[in-house]
Amino acid sequence: MAAEPSLVFTDVNERQGAFTRRVFLMGGVVAFGMFALTGRLVHLQILQGSKFQKLSAANQFNFRLVPPPRGNIFDRNGKLIAGNRPSFRVMIETNEIKNIDDTLDQVSYILPQTLTSRRRILRDINQNQRSVPTIIASDLSWEDFSKVSLYANDIPGVVADRDEMRAYYYGGAFSHVVGYVAKISQKDMDKEKGGPEGEFNLLHHPSFRIGKSGIEKAFDRDLRGTAGGKKVEVDARGRVVAEDGVGSIAPVPGKDIVLTLDADIQQRAIDVFGQESGSAVMMDIETGEVLCMTSSPGFDPNLFVSGISNDAYKLLHDYDHNPLLDKALTATYPPGSTFKTLVGLAALENGFDPKTTHTCNGVFPYGNRVFHCDDRHGTLDLHGAIVTSCDVYFYQCALAVGPDKIAAVARKFGLGQIFDIGIDGQKAGVVPDQAWKKAYFEKRQPNNTRWWPGETPSMGIGQGYTNVNALQNCVAVARLANGRKAVMPRLIKSIGGKPYKDTEFEDLPVDPAHIAFVRAAMADVTSAPGGTAARSGKLDLGPILMAGKTGTAQAHTYAAGGSRATLHLGWEKRDHAWFVAFAPADAPKYAMSVIVQHGGWGSSSAVPKAREIMRMALLKDPEIQKRIVAVNPADLVDKPISDGPDPDSAPESDPGAAPPPPDIIDNGV
Amino acid sequence: MVDSALSRPGQRERYDSKLAQVDWLFVGLLCALTGIGIIMLYSVGGMTWGGPGWAYKQLIFFSVCLVMMCGLSLLDLRVWLMGAYWFYGASLLLLIAVEAVGAVRMGAQRWLSIGGFTFQPSEFMKLAIVLALARFYHECSAKDANLSWKLLIPAAMIGVPATLVMHQPDLGTAVLISLTGASVMILAGLNWKIIAAAAASAPVAVFLAFQYALHDYQKKRILTFLNPEGDPSGDGYHILQSKIAMGSGGLLGKGLGLGSQSQLNFLPEKHTDFIMAAVCEELGFAGGFTIFLLYALIILMALRMASLSHSHFGRLAAAGATATFALYVLINGAMVMGMFPVVGVPMPLVSYGGSAMLMVMTGFGVVLGVKVHRYQELPRQASIFSRFE
Repeated sequence: MAAEPSLVFTDVNERQGAFTRRVFLMGGVVAFGMFALTGRLVHLQILQGSKFQKLSAANQFNFRLVPPPRGNIFDRNGKLIAGNRPSFRVMIETNEIKNIDDTLDQVSYILPQTLTSRRRILRDINQNQRSVPTIIASDLSWEDFSKVSLYANDIPGVVADRDEMRAYYYGGAFSHVVGYVAKISQKDMDKEKGGPEGEFNLLHHPSFRIGKSGIEKAFDRDLRGTAGGKKVEVDARGRVVAEDGVGSIAPVPGKDIVLTLDADIQQRAIDVFGQESGSAVMMDIETGEVLCMTSSPGFDPNLFVSGISNDAYKLLHDYDHNPLLDKALTATYPPGSTFKTLVGLAALENGFDPKTTHTCNGVFPYGNRVFHCDDRHGTLDLHGAIVTSCDVYFYQCALAVGPDKIAAVARKFGLGQIFDIGIDGQKAGVVPDQAWKKAYFEKRQPNNTRWWPGETPSMGIGQGYTNVNALQNCVAVARLANGRKAVMPRLIKSIGGKPYKDTEFEDLPVDPAHIAFVRAAMADVTSAPGGTAARSGKLDLGPILMAGKTGTAQAHTYAAGGSRATLHLGWEKRDHAWFVAFAPADAPKYAMSVIVQHGGWGSSSAVPKAREIMRMALLKDPEIQKRIVAVNPADLVDKPISDGPDPDSAPESDPGAAPPPPDIIDNGV
Repeated sequence: MVDSALSRPGQRERYDSKLAQVDWLFVGLLCALTGIGIIMLYSVGGMTWGGPGWAYKQLIFFSVCLVMMCGLSLLDLRVWLMGAYWFYGASLLLLIAVEAVGAVRMGAQRWLSIGGFTFQPSEFMKLAIVLALARFYHECSAKDANLSWKLLIPAAMIGVPATLVMHQPDLGTAVLISLTGASVMILAGLNWKIIAAAAASAPVAVFLAFQYALHDYQKKRILTFLNPEGDPSGDGYHILQSKIAMGSGGLLGKGLGLGSQSQLNFLPEKHTDFIMAAVCEELGFAGGFTIFLLYALIILMALRMASLSHSHFGRLAAAGATATFALYVLINGAMVMGMFPVVGVPMPLVSYGGSAMLMVMTGFGVVLGVKVHRYQELPRQASIFSRFE
């Protein structure tokens, strides 16, 4: 540009001078300002760039915790007992919501049912941490889920997703042994402290459930698995814009657990119990595998998964049949006459001559007491006394042996013991002897620490202090049936594909001849005329016979000289009915114990149940099947379930079985 | 081409020679700056001309304003001089009208609606105050401009509209009007002692304003500026997200349309007040620095054009209009980078918005007009009308 002609000489002007100086100054100020802004830009973008890039990524990407699928629980044949089923639900993410009431109002337009649970939702929101989403509706129908999915993107903070929920496919059949899962409580949360680092978030995830009892509780960590993370891109309102498959971490599913239980036998057991209270335990006498361990009545564990209502829980808790109690492990009962097998064995082991006879005329006076029998059995030897379950004989047999020796044998057969089967809840029960009585009564009744001779006859018939649970009684009969090894019960086959600890059994230090004697007597209980289970203990499976021993355990003290029949009494005063058995009688494979709480007589109440459950196990066994088919293929057709005890009905006749015995005795004590 | 003070009489009055005197490099820089802005509006609008249509509308606004600016640059300076007080008076009346019957939007009474056209009179005042003060000083001696009782008049001319705007409440515009007026007074030769005294008393004034004059939300903004991490999800959110956006851009940026902060709405007001954050996120330091460089060039060129004028009115009007523009840039730049409270001042020409662009381009029309008519001498006093032939 051409130089401007200067007019300074015509317009020398103070004002222009001041302006020119100051406009220079202003230019300088602006230049300085722009320089400062550029400096700030360098500071933010170049020097602190990496810091802000991290913050920006933290804004843009979120890791949404993906809970791992809980491990499945299978029975021995691979039938699914506890698994996961899909459940559609809606959650709100509290920290992304400005006004919770508005959001819930919007949701209630789509899901009217959330109106009624508004109070529960608000309570949950307050209890949860702000970063934890709260479930506002779960187990939605497909239509509801579709509606919510459609509109959820327009309601910030509302998420509809597919979740997995624990499902128990056999309902009450496994309610005690498998247990159940439920929402984690504050107490559980405290116990989990110190666990793996990332686990904390999983515990707070709304779909997380913790094992509360049984296998679910004992192996919770194995079943739980490890949480994964889904990397998602979100916008400022927290809505998911895109999912980033590459950055996501897949969850590790929990380990599967295979039990030794057989779902068919278990289901059969719970079926035959119906509404009656009690327990059935069955074991393989060679491997110790528990095939069946039920407690009746059961409860539906599915109720606990999404949270049981207080009313429903109260019903379960207050019911006098006590469905929440595990009657296989936790409840202990006097073994009653089932104990006589061990008393007899203890006698034989200590040189008692089985030919010894006693005469029973219904009473046995001892000291200043009179001990009763339920019948006048006449003159019996040891074999006959086991078959007819004569109390008078065993009062005297026990006196001959003494409590300490009986207790020693009982302990060898697993009574009074807690087994390592993986789950807790077992009660040891009591196998009394003089040392036990001294220790037990030392504090309680210091002047009653001596074992009184009058206490021995009661012990001889499995009453008095003696107390066992159904598992122990089953182990005892399994060891009797095995004869060589002290079989231990096993409940878990494998965890995550790895075999669960499998220990060698110790030898059973008992003379095999003595065991053979007891087994022969037990075989006659169900097959010889006069046997206490002769009428109801027939399997109707041709050559396959069941051997066993009935028992009736006193649930209350009889009035002196009063009737010992208790069926007419109120339910809670009736005797407990026991039956322990093994089959086949000639070559034992399965052992079991059945207790019917307040069931009355063992023969009429417990034996038919044991029979049905045992039939199920035998009919499933291919080797047993071969033996039956060789005789009579028609027996393979399953019989209808007999409807509980009915002592007056005619016994079932079967062409393959012996003719029904004369109705001599049907009340084995 | 001989376009100089020695040109033949009448030649300078021809429109073709006037157009030749328009600083086309300057116009080109304005186009480049606005062009970058339009590209950014296209990006934050979802990489489409449709959608919110910010880029498209901005292009239309700018085209209209560009033509208008060139047209205004051909206007005789006497028109501006003559119209200065009228324009100021009209703007002041509109501000009072707003106070009386203005529409309340977003909690503030700033808008006036005439015939379906809604506008903010405070925008007009930004230019009106410059022209009015330029005329006042044009008629004022250097001595009086430096220090005299007469200076109470420009003080009042600034104070009255600033107070009205403050009362709307619109802190940003009030500050802008006051600072613009102050720059014109300083450029006109205000005594340094007064400047020093004002600068010294500024903290006191700020304190008093904070205590008695500011609304709660304005106080909160200032407190948030002082401690932005104090409330990261509330008011500090804007500043924090803006800093994250800029910082994460790095040297070369995330790429157009790829800024997570601006595209996923973490950045508030991403198309208006905070567009610089979007620029720096997507185009990086390279983009941000380019824009600052363009602003610096534009401002310095405009100041040079102001200093070429032979008339005091022309000098002050052009420099004053440039000062407004420079204040916009500095305040907005400092605001988005967390160096100044959030006060709703847009980045001129780059931020989306018609009325702000209209006033900025009118201001540059004055600047270009002052350059085109730099040899025109205006009488200091007396009738302007008599000089019209």
